[in-house]
Amino acid sequence: MKKIILFALILSYSYTLLSQTSLPSIELKNIDGEYIKIENTVEKDQVLVISLWATWCVPCINELDAIQEYYEDWQEETNFKLIAISIDNARTTSRVKPLVNGKEWEYEVLLDVNQDFKRALNANTVPYLVIVKNNKIVYSHSGYTPGSEIELYEKIKEIAQ
Amino acid sequence: MKKLKKLPNNFTMKKIILIALALFTFQAYSQEKNISGSFISNSQYYLDDNKTGDFNEDNRFRSNNYLKIDGNYNNFSIGIQLEGYAPQAILNYSPTFNKEIGLGNYYLNYKTKKLDITAGHFYEQFGNGLILRSWEDKELGINNALVGGRINYSPTKEIYLTALYGKQRAGFKLSDGEILGFNSEISLSDLFKLQKSTINFGFSAVSRIQEVENSVPEFTKNTNAYSGRLNISSGNIYSNIEYVLKNEDALVEFQNVKTDKLAEGNAFVFNTGYSKKGLGIDATFRRLENMNFFSDREQDGNVYNQQVVNYIPSLTKQHDYSLSNIYVYQAQPKLSFNPIGKAGEIGTQIDIYYNLKKGTLLGGKYGTKLALNYSTWYGLKANYDLVNRTYSSDFLGFGKKYFTDANIEIRKKWSKKWSSIITYTNLYYNKRYVEETVGEVNANIFILESTYKFSNKKSLRIEGQHLWTQDDKKNWWASTVELNLSPKVSFYATDMYNYGNELKKIHYYNFGGSYTKNNTRIALNYGRQRGGLLCVGGVCRVVPESTGFSLALNTSF
Repeated sequence: MKKIILFALILSYSYTLLSQTSLPSIELKNIDGEYIKIENTVEKDQVLVISLWATWCVPCINELDAIQEYYEDWQEETNFKLIAISIDNARTTSRVKPLVNGKEWEYEVLLDVNQDFKRALNANTVPYLVIVKNNKIVYSHSGYTPGSEIELYEKIKEIAQ
Repeated sequence: MKKLKKLPNNFTMKKIILIALALFTFQAYSQEKNISGSFISNSQYYLDDNKTGDFNEDNRFRSNNYLKIDGNYNNFSIGIQLEGYAPQAILNYSPTFNKEIGLGNYYLNYKTKKLDITAGHFYEQFGNGLILRSWEDKELGINNALVGGRINYSPTKEIYLTALYGKQRAGFKLSDGEILGFNSEISLSDLFKLQKSTINFGFSAVSRIQEVENSVPEFTKNTNAYSGRLNISSGNIYSNIEYVLKNEDALVEFQNVKTDKLAEGNAFVFNTGYSKKGLGIDATFRRLENMNFFSDREQDGNVYNQQVVNYIPSLTKQHDYSLSNIYVYQAQPKLSFNPIGKAGEIGTQIDIYYNLKKGTLLGGKYGTKLALNYSTWYGLKANYDLVNRTYSSDFLGFGKKYFTDANIEIRKKWSKKWSSIITYTNLYYNKRYVEETVGEVNANIFILESTYKFSNKKSLRIEGQHLWTQDDKKNWWASTVELNLSPKVSFYATDMYNYGNELKKIHYYNFGGSYTKNNTRIALNYGRQRGGLLCVGGVCRVVPESTGFSLALNTSF
């Protein structure tokens, strides 16, 4: 019982820490096998959306398909950027590149084959999405329901200002 | 014969408090917030069921809890994962996890531009994982993190080197075997300043060191494995090739390590693809021979997937629907003579993705997305000498057929409000060889999923599935209704029913709801789970049928 109380105490303490965290600095390979440092791909004050997804995750693909429909228009308006990080492991990672091209996604796609980035981000499930500005995580969200991309874009606009 | 180390309980407790204190002081000194973490809790309350039987084990209520906290300051980071299985871990988790609360993982890391040093627990994968992968999957009850030290060194941006030493986690204990590993990755295209193509070369070596009691005198305790890899990508075309060699190791039969029966292992993987906007093709050929690799030899083939050194997923489509997950292929890397001779597997998988453009006849107003998948897997063609426990195999010989499936998936948006996913699967599953039981299964599966959007916040998803087969448990149907009231609240009901089975017809029904706010999600479920293989990411474990309530909570901070 003592242990459970300690557990609860640590948990509640951790909750008092809720605020902005830095984006984990982990280099990931892109689908051509080159190492990419995420913070080097964005400009100052540019809003960056990172979506963790997998080829076997139906809601993840629904979300990225849905955003793709508006991506060009939204980018013109707010100059944000989306990086789709696949958490596919060795079983399905070879499927990422043909899927991305087959679907004509215009996102930059990176591979997190042993979930190092997912773990560092403390994401539990996919889809998991974070909004980053000047290397600080300002918003995070898990799950996707049809239409929630509209709510996401409202959030992006709010943060872009 | 168990040789696992056990730490005294109070020692771990002190360690937890110490690390927690260190973390908090750390936080107090740092200028900005540099602490993050997550909390996951999965609880079950098991009920008796007049259809599938009473719950006959200890503790109807069981709960798995994970609290992970990471902190960083300048170049240092530190972290812990506390795990609590109170009063006991959920059904079919390895008993090595049964502990009310314990320190699961801890690490200290120092990182600069070129150097990255970790002490404590770490996860690592060399190449595709064929000779080394340590990872965690809470749903499957796998955490084979290495405990020890690791150094990553990147002298230039073209060269990545890793050296590591450690023992794998086995629940709250450590494996008896030691692991020594080295990995290198060199970007030849950067080195030779190639503009239009990428060429990467990789080499890894892993040594597993474990004494075996009463071994024959000439037996060596080290087993070495080597992997060489080459990735080439140029324009629309890419190729990856990997060859793995595992030195002679003892044959293991039902936890018996036979140091006088030795065999070598090897693996060969070739993957190639072509992709451009609107079209992607990917094909993989893989051959595995005697590639089981465990930290502790005696654990070879254990049902909980504990202490596995390498990662050998089945290369088949990973399904998201319930009826597609009844006959799931599992990779067959193991050498065995009993009950049937098996030395490995050989086969291929092909994927094609195609986008029918908007405004064309088949594409319609919104375009249509096609995904085709085909895979076929055979045992190695080999002659087995069952008395002497030896065999000889052909490199390109196809033996018994284990599995084959063909899948077509069509994603179609009909209007602003309606969209559908249509899936058809034809499969063959050799139960006798894959599960080492009896029978073969030929089945067809058809699935229609449609989503109706009432508004940008509210939607309804309906799923109908049917599986036709004359074999095993005969025909099934399944359906799901999911109502998303808002991005925060959703409810669902599902049922699957093997109505074709004359012996035992059972409805596997589930009802539940979830509430999501930002990155916090709470889900409550009541229902009856189908027993059988639970597969996540190509790794499967057998779970019993069970009925009851489940509560899942997860959050990040």
